[in-house]
Amino acid sequence: MSSIVPTMRHVRGFDVARPLSIGVLVFMMLPLVFLPLASIFIFGTSKGLASFWAALMAPEAIFALKLSMVTSFWATLFNVVFGLFAAYVLSRYNFWGRNALIVTISLPTAIPTAVAGFALLLLWGPYGILGRFLSPHGIQTMFTAGAIILANIFVTFPLAFGVIKPVFDTMSRSLEEASATIGATRVQTFWHVTLPSLRGAIVSGALLTFARAVGEFGSTILVSGNLAGRTQTAPLYIFAKFNEGQIEAANAIAIVLALFSFLIFSVLFFARDWLDVD
Amino acid sequence: MKAKQVMVTEQSTSSDATRQTPPVATSVVGISKRFGKTSVLENINFDVAEGEALVILGASGSGKTTILPIIAGLEQPYTGKVMLHGKDVTELPARERGVGVIFQSYALFPKMTVEKNIGYGLRIRHRKRKEIRETVDDLLGLVQLEEHRNKYPSQLSGGQQQRVAIARTLAYKPEVLLFDEPFGALDAQTRGHLRREIRALLRKVNVPAIFITHDQEEALELGDRIAVINLGHIEQIGTPLEVYTKPANEYVAKFLGAANVLSGEVKGGNIEVGAALIPFREGHDFSEGQKVKLVFRPEDVSLTKSSDAPPHQCCIARGIVEVTNFVGAYERVSVRIDLSESGSSESDETPFYLTTQTPESQTSKPIIATRPKPEATAVKLKQGDRVAVNLSSFTVLPDVPPRGQKQVTKKV
Repeated sequence: MSSIVPTMRHVRGFDVARPLSIGVLVFMMLPLVFLPLASIFIFGTSKGLASFWAALMAPEAIFALKLSMVTSFWATLFNVVFGLFAAYVLSRYNFWGRNALIVTISLPTAIPTAVAGFALLLLWGPYGILGRFLSPHGIQTMFTAGAIILANIFVTFPLAFGVIKPVFDTMSRSLEEASATIGATRVQTFWHVTLPSLRGAIVSGALLTFARAVGEFGSTILVSGNLAGRTQTAPLYIFAKFNEGQIEAANAIAIVLALFSFLIFSVLFFARDWLDVD
Repeated sequence: MKAKQVMVTEQSTSSDATRQTPPVATSVVGISKRFGKTSVLENINFDVAEGEALVILGASGSGKTTILPIIAGLEQPYTGKVMLHGKDVTELPARERGVGVIFQSYALFPKMTVEKNIGYGLRIRHRKRKEIRETVDDLLGLVQLEEHRNKYPSQLSGGQQQRVAIARTLAYKPEVLLFDEPFGALDAQTRGHLRREIRALLRKVNVPAIFITHDQEEALELGDRIAVINLGHIEQIGTPLEVYTKPANEYVAKFLGAANVLSGEVKGGNIEVGAALIPFREGHDFSEGQKVKLVFRPEDVSLTKSSDAPPHQCCIARGIVEVTNFVGAYERVSVRIDLSESGSSESDETPFYLTTQTPESQTSKPIIATRPKPEATAVKLKQGDRVAVNLSSFTVLPDVPPRGQKQVTKKV
């Protein structure tokens, strides 16, 4: 038996599973993701770039895009600062009800956006729990840009917090203790030691929040009043123009929003390493 | 936070204010610490003189790691106070104490360069740029990291990081340097090298230092004095030589290296160990008939084949060589000594009591002796050889039970 030494080279059999599974994956994603995205661009540019540009330059379209950006900016600013503060408190101090607070902060992800918008109306609306006392004084929060910001804040509430908190949790306490023994005040320690370590988390948290806020529809349509040129955000504009049968107008904005999210996600994806570089 | 109301108990008994050493830089007076109901430190007292290095040596769970945060102001003691250059700082927060802590992990700021790390203490004190640059340059030179000034901590080796951590604290002229297990994260070779380096550095800057360690070799080499801590109590404070050669109790003797311990009794100016009578070298204050422990180090034992002891040594017993191990610089010999017979009696048979754990283990005890290589090669010993066991030096301790296993169970 030992004399029959096989001299033939081992050739690994062709593994069918590999190309097959990759193929199935791509094929499944085709109608679900790739084709819908592609059709925005195919349709939007089918009548030439000139008409795309004209649709984009319509005053209402520009206003909608601007409004989306501005409201999303303020919501993002608030939620990043709040998320930073909440993450600091909830990871540094242990107190009764801490877990309940963490769950509550994370809750808005699970609430349907239409419900969120409805809830805001019931609170701040002209007949709402608080709003009914404010409206006699001429204070109207709903159906304004402020309402859009409120809705954005509510819907994107946990995003920045969710990214920042784990970084806080894993951060070594000895860095802050070292800073204290060196003579730094709490504020100095936070500014020079804690914050730089959170840079990556803050940027990705902000981008996530912003991307989500720009695309917000369900809650915005309820609280904004959807007034063209006044409280109509970009997603609402798409919806309105589509309802009016102005597919081109809707499509132009859709392209801009799609490109915008590509941009944010490529920043998130490629800048991770750069942001965490020492 | 709960133990805010510091209850200063009567600790006047233990403070020895009259020391003839250089001025006291740091003192810890009657410190105790509890976590919940577990007591971690009990009435800790020690002084560190200007420029002195004190090593706090203890096993894990001894409470040694709790002392540093208390001195640094990161933890509040339950009772007692911390004095820095005569000033009571017990109530001051960490940032107002001006203490330099070298954390075990070094805790360098990862997003700052070496230069920025070292200058941090001065930057937050709003010193002038020129002054900061000069100090940083000086310190970089002192710790020999000039060419690494623009690197980030993650790009440095462990030893380099440690030097940055030291320089970072030296920048603001600390009252005292606190080292928390400074060499724990390093390999054995780097350790020894860095130890000597830090020792030389401390001599140069003349800043008092407190080291926390569990490594007795490190303690002996680093410290001007060593405080041995066990179960939250300081067992002994003394120079390395004192603590090693005159241990205050069995725990200290055993913790600072290998020690043989034999039980005996004081009998008419001698210590009776088994059948052997060992004369006291110096005066003693033991009463007649008192139970004592005879403690001696392996290197204090000399083994001779003839029964007459070398000069200035006394023969305590005869024994049989059980095992010899060659361990590099010296040879380690396990000898089972027979305490039932007098030192010179002859009984050549009985090889069967090599089976250890016999009922008469009261009278036959294993001890460890070490012999330097020249001696080991000159006089070969092998298993079964009969030898005389002679001592050149030993310590006599009262036979008291070791510190009770109190409720100090919390690992710190």
